[in-house]
Amino acid sequence: VASHSSTALPRRNPGSAASKSFYSLTKVALESKACQGLACYVARHLDQGTWDKACAQPGKLYCLGKCYAGPATDATSSRPIIEVHSRQPVVLERIVNGGARSLKSYTAGGGYQALAQCRQQSPEKTIQAVEQSGLRGRGGAGFPAGRKWREVFSQPGKQKYVVANADEGDPGAYIDRFIIEDDPHRLIEAMAIAGHAVGASHGFIYLRKEYPVAEQVLRAALDEARGAGLIGKKAGFELEITMGHGSYVCGEETALLNSIEGRRAEVRQRPPYPTEQGLWGKPTLVNNVETLVCVPWILEHGADAYRALGFSKSQGTKLVSLNSLFNRPGLYEVEFGVTVRHIVETLGGGLKSGTLRGVIIGGPLAGILPASLLDTPFGFDELRAVGAMVGHGGIVAFDEKTSIADIVRHVAEFAAAESCGKCTPCRRGSPRLAELPARDETDDLVAALLNTSLCGLGTGLGEFTASALKHYAKELAPCLK
Amino acid sequence: MPQVTINGKTYTGPEGTTVLTALRALGYDVPTVCHDPRLTPYGGCRLCVVNIKGAPKPVTSCNTVIADGMIVDTHTDELQDLRRTLLKLLARDYPADQVARFPDKQFHRYLKEYGVNATGKPQPAKLDVSHPYIHVDMSQCVTCYRCVRICDEVQGQFVWQAWNRGDETEIRPATGTNLATSECVSCGACVDTCPSGALEDKSLLLHGVPTQWTKTICSYCGTGCEVNVGSRDNRITTIRPALEGPSNHGHTCVKGRYAFEYVYAKDRVTSPMIRRNGEWEKITWDEAIQFVSDRFRDTIARHGPDSVGLLTSARGTNEENYVGQKFARLVLGTNNVDCCARVCHSPTAAAMKMTLGTGAATNSLDDIELAQTILVCGANPTDGHPVTGARIKQAARRGANLIIVDPREIELNQFATLHLPLRPGTNVIVFNAMGATIVEEGLVDEAFVRERITEYDEYKKFIRQFLPEKVTDICGVPAGKIREAARLYATATPSLSVHGLGMTEHIQGTEGIMALVNLALLTGNIGKPGTGINPLRGQNNVQGAPHMGSEPNLLAGYVPIKDARERFEAAYHAQLPASKGKNMIEMLEAAQTGSFKVLWAIGYDIMLTNPNAHETRRALKEMDLVIVQDLFLNQTAIEFGDLFLPAASSFEKDGTFMNGERRIQRIRKAVNPQGEARSDWEIVCDVARAMGHGDQFNYQSAEEIWDEVRSLWNEGAGISYDRLDQLGGLQWPCYDENDPGMGVMHADHFSHGKTTPLRRIEYVAPPEITNDEFPFLLTTGRNLYQYNAATQTNRTANAGMHTTDYLNVSKPDARRLNLRDGETVRLRSRQGTATLPVQISDTVKPGELYATFHSVRVFLNEITSSHRDRYTKTPEYKVTAVCLEKV
Repeated sequence: VASHSSTALPRRNPGSAASKSFYSLTKVALESKACQGLACYVARHLDQGTWDKACAQPGKLYCLGKCYAGPATDATSSRPIIEVHSRQPVVLERIVNGGARSLKSYTAGGGYQALAQCRQQSPEKTIQAVEQSGLRGRGGAGFPAGRKWREVFSQPGKQKYVVANADEGDPGAYIDRFIIEDDPHRLIEAMAIAGHAVGASHGFIYLRKEYPVAEQVLRAALDEARGAGLIGKKAGFELEITMGHGSYVCGEETALLNSIEGRRAEVRQRPPYPTEQGLWGKPTLVNNVETLVCVPWILEHGADAYRALGFSKSQGTKLVSLNSLFNRPGLYEVEFGVTVRHIVETLGGGLKSGTLRGVIIGGPLAGILPASLLDTPFGFDELRAVGAMVGHGGIVAFDEKTSIADIVRHVAEFAAAESCGKCTPCRRGSPRLAELPARDETDDLVAALLNTSLCGLGTGLGEFTASALKHYAKELAPCLK
Repeated sequence: MPQVTINGKTYTGPEGTTVLTALRALGYDVPTVCHDPRLTPYGGCRLCVVNIKGAPKPVTSCNTVIADGMIVDTHTDELQDLRRTLLKLLARDYPADQVARFPDKQFHRYLKEYGVNATGKPQPAKLDVSHPYIHVDMSQCVTCYRCVRICDEVQGQFVWQAWNRGDETEIRPATGTNLATSECVSCGACVDTCPSGALEDKSLLLHGVPTQWTKTICSYCGTGCEVNVGSRDNRITTIRPALEGPSNHGHTCVKGRYAFEYVYAKDRVTSPMIRRNGEWEKITWDEAIQFVSDRFRDTIARHGPDSVGLLTSARGTNEENYVGQKFARLVLGTNNVDCCARVCHSPTAAAMKMTLGTGAATNSLDDIELAQTILVCGANPTDGHPVTGARIKQAARRGANLIIVDPREIELNQFATLHLPLRPGTNVIVFNAMGATIVEEGLVDEAFVRERITEYDEYKKFIRQFLPEKVTDICGVPAGKIREAARLYATATPSLSVHGLGMTEHIQGTEGIMALVNLALLTGNIGKPGTGINPLRGQNNVQGAPHMGSEPNLLAGYVPIKDARERFEAAYHAQLPASKGKNMIEMLEAAQTGSFKVLWAIGYDIMLTNPNAHETRRALKEMDLVIVQDLFLNQTAIEFGDLFLPAASSFEKDGTFMNGERRIQRIRKAVNPQGEARSDWEIVCDVARAMGHGDQFNYQSAEEIWDEVRSLWNEGAGISYDRLDQLGGLQWPCYDENDPGMGVMHADHFSHGKTTPLRRIEYVAPPEITNDEFPFLLTTGRNLYQYNAATQTNRTANAGMHTTDYLNVSKPDARRLNLRDGETVRLRSRQGTATLPVQISDTVKPGELYATFHSVRVFLNEITSSHRDRYTKTPEYKVTAVCLEKV
């Protein structure tokens, strides 16, 4: 009987016009565009003119990573407040001290020593360090990083890949953007370490097109690192950048892999997980930027030092990014275990625009945390328990200027625009939800999104809507007809 | 094996079984619009969700694999509600009128089952009626991506593409403004898989939803695709591939799927006719039968039995071919019987019979998926055998090495590892050079050679003269490429070869095959899965026709008369003719000298298809009587026919075909014959009765004939109609009714013994040489949309998809001769001239030309060579020296 391989088949025409049409930025340019992301939406009353421009422009443009200055445009060039509020800085150390874009400044601070150390020791030792550190994925799901590394390492076969997910698409997050813009070699070093540890000789950094400065900085850093023989043929590790073209779902790892392959960036069914069958069907490690850049620190300081930070089952530090409605919008490194209230009130200084109605943590496709739950500790499992998420760490507060119905509509429209279109609940359900149908139908849609979606985009919309219905029932009910 | 519990019932199945397969095996079903067993599970529509105990949320059953101890629920209220919600989402904009009009469509049945109303309206902007066979209405698209996936995973054509994303996803062709201007090859797979009304056969919309389905075998090439013929009011309305078809696994091509309208062509002749004073007149069957029998009797009485002869058809059934040759031998008393295998794969059958003991494919088409290296020799499968071509393409995409041995570039070149662009007529050189490389580089399968091969030392000594470096100038292929091909074939095993008429239609046709067989023997690529020598047979029953004894020196079972005379005479209670019979070529030669008088040509248009038409014409002119039995007044009938007998098409009768992988498959009557048309065997039996041989031809059904065949043919003895109905096709050898048949032959011994010698094949240059007068070499081949003489295809919309034959001319030659695309040129050979338009192409080399051979108007056989294979007299169609003149 004809057997069909479940792995990706090479295509005759990768990068065809049809697969390009998937992306929003193949149709409109980034230049002179205003951001339509959630952070800018809830801040529209700060600068109605900019927001109106965003609404009038053709196509969709969700999040330029300037949420601290929303409503923002591609011309917005200010920087956020960046501060360390943990006992030890893991990620922001160089960044708060002016960054290290050049190889010289990076190595002057001890950069690439972790890589040198790693290349002298067995992969096993590196993987053990990552395992023992308790590091969990910073992309949203919080999967133990060490377990993922080991899975890729233990796969048979010579050809493996490592991929950095730098497609930071969640409106409200600008974490990876500043890591790459201010400390690009940290990511390169981390990728080379990952490659050595799991046995991959080729890596890709999938970077979103909405971050043109990050692209420029990263390309220059890659050239320098290659020139110094830290990566490249002789070093046994090739590293290249693949640029996105405007698609939120490419932050989902399997869609991201399809995008790198030049295929339509739709989500793949898991299992098989990328650790077994990833890029071109080969075992692939996909990690978020923030996850990766913790690894050199762990090798430099030891797994125990990392493990000592944080609390409960959430080890280490986390970067959080606060939107423009805060008095002190900015990028903060905190230890897991602080309360959300601490982040909102002490670090963010409360809202400058009105009364806090709630915060949306980790991107719009997660639960809303109403003001009444601000004392929840900031940790993976603790937020999960109240229907919210750490997610990627963006924190979007909203005030009374935006009704909950408006937020639900905006988020559902966002999901509809970013859905890959593969599964029925997300493709058909999200635009229907944006019409705010009657309660019965809304409940049915939420159930379908939660229970039958293929990936986190549809499920996340379900979780978001369910939490809105739960925490803001009275306000939302009259809007559903 | 894992055991699972589904709704309280247990199921045990092999590892890798999906939950969907398991629940269906237990008699449950869940809706799904994106699942198709031909495709990789997709998990897109999410309708097939089920609960698995312990899982945090429902999972899709189509792509979840069973695990031991799994407990599954398929129809809880919650799951049914989820499915209803999803169906409502799909039905929101779906045109309600279509659901009412076609209630049996898969998606429409689900809507009814779940009580969901479609609430959309027709959207004329989403119609595309450009394609001759396929109606496109994307307002009925449910975005299941099955069309996109089947075009990718099965056909490998990538026509349907998903554009944009989210709810704005649209399915439309990758290129062109509509389906007609896309790269669609019209295989119809997308229509077959579509669960809604988005893609539909125009014929079905025109002639109605079938009320009856008949499983049968395609009437075109020798792949032997199993199809289901849908009919309504005794009219074919659609043809669909059979999922369980052992040779096609649910796929077909533009010919088998769509080109059936010839059955209803206006010029189909449906009553017997006689030509009187140059005009055709209708007569009754009784008159026709009487006429035939009188004239045969009379001619035999005056000129002897060898003055008459019969040609049977490779498009007819095994039963009809058997009855035809039996008629020639027992009623006419002559061995003058032949079929059109003479002009195609006779060299294959002869060469393989000599070297391996059986003149047929050693392996099966399924072996394509098992091979690591596939050698394609002188064949263009994506046009000539499209379903096989698609399978080879997919195998190459999955990583098999593909080596193309062909003078020109073919479609498969896009997926090929290596191309050996040899000079036409130098096959023996190339395969000998590969053999020499294998010997010299020590790539021989020593154990196999020791056990199964003789005369290795002689071969080793002989083959040295063919080392690639020594022969590269003769064949035109760089020595390095030949060596690389030899290494791949010998070491990246299992290696399988398929070949076509580019191998056989040469003066060294038979020898070329023997040189190819040598490679398989040297490397042990025979007798194992994924290996072997596998001819791609050109017509549906061209393997079966000669096998039934329709060759002058062979009897049923492909046995020489000299070996089986007594056995057959005992069975028939009659004498077989003593004199040596003439093959088709020899009959025509005899006619030119006046010793051959009457020809009965069944389903074989020799006037159009024989090479060097002048000779054919001279021969037919000399005959006293030409009886043509066909569906149409073919070229032979138009020019020389005296009596016409209207035959039934393969949709209108019962019987069996034998495909290129030795598989006997049932054809079944789907509709009644048009008018007075009758099965070939019924007509032949009537004439036999009229000539006093009723007792030997007293068959009541095709099955009775078949039972006689298998009583005489040991290797087919186990293949009964009952078994064919129950099991589907069976591959001979199949000795008794418990024998499952044989997919891979020659595993422990060859058909004629434990060992076989390597043949030492000398090279003989083609006599058609280029010179100042005839500077080009012309080769010919088949186009996707047409089939041989186009008797069938030209009476369907396929005619519009390939309106004329073109002459492919290389760019440098076109520049030198100042030719433009589409310009008409005259080709002149030593035999004659033909006029056709030019198509400038990178696929041919300078100094070489290529044309398809279907167009009656172009009539390429006016110029083709009159040279013949040294063993079988198969004409050398593939090498003709020509010159080219502007018109």
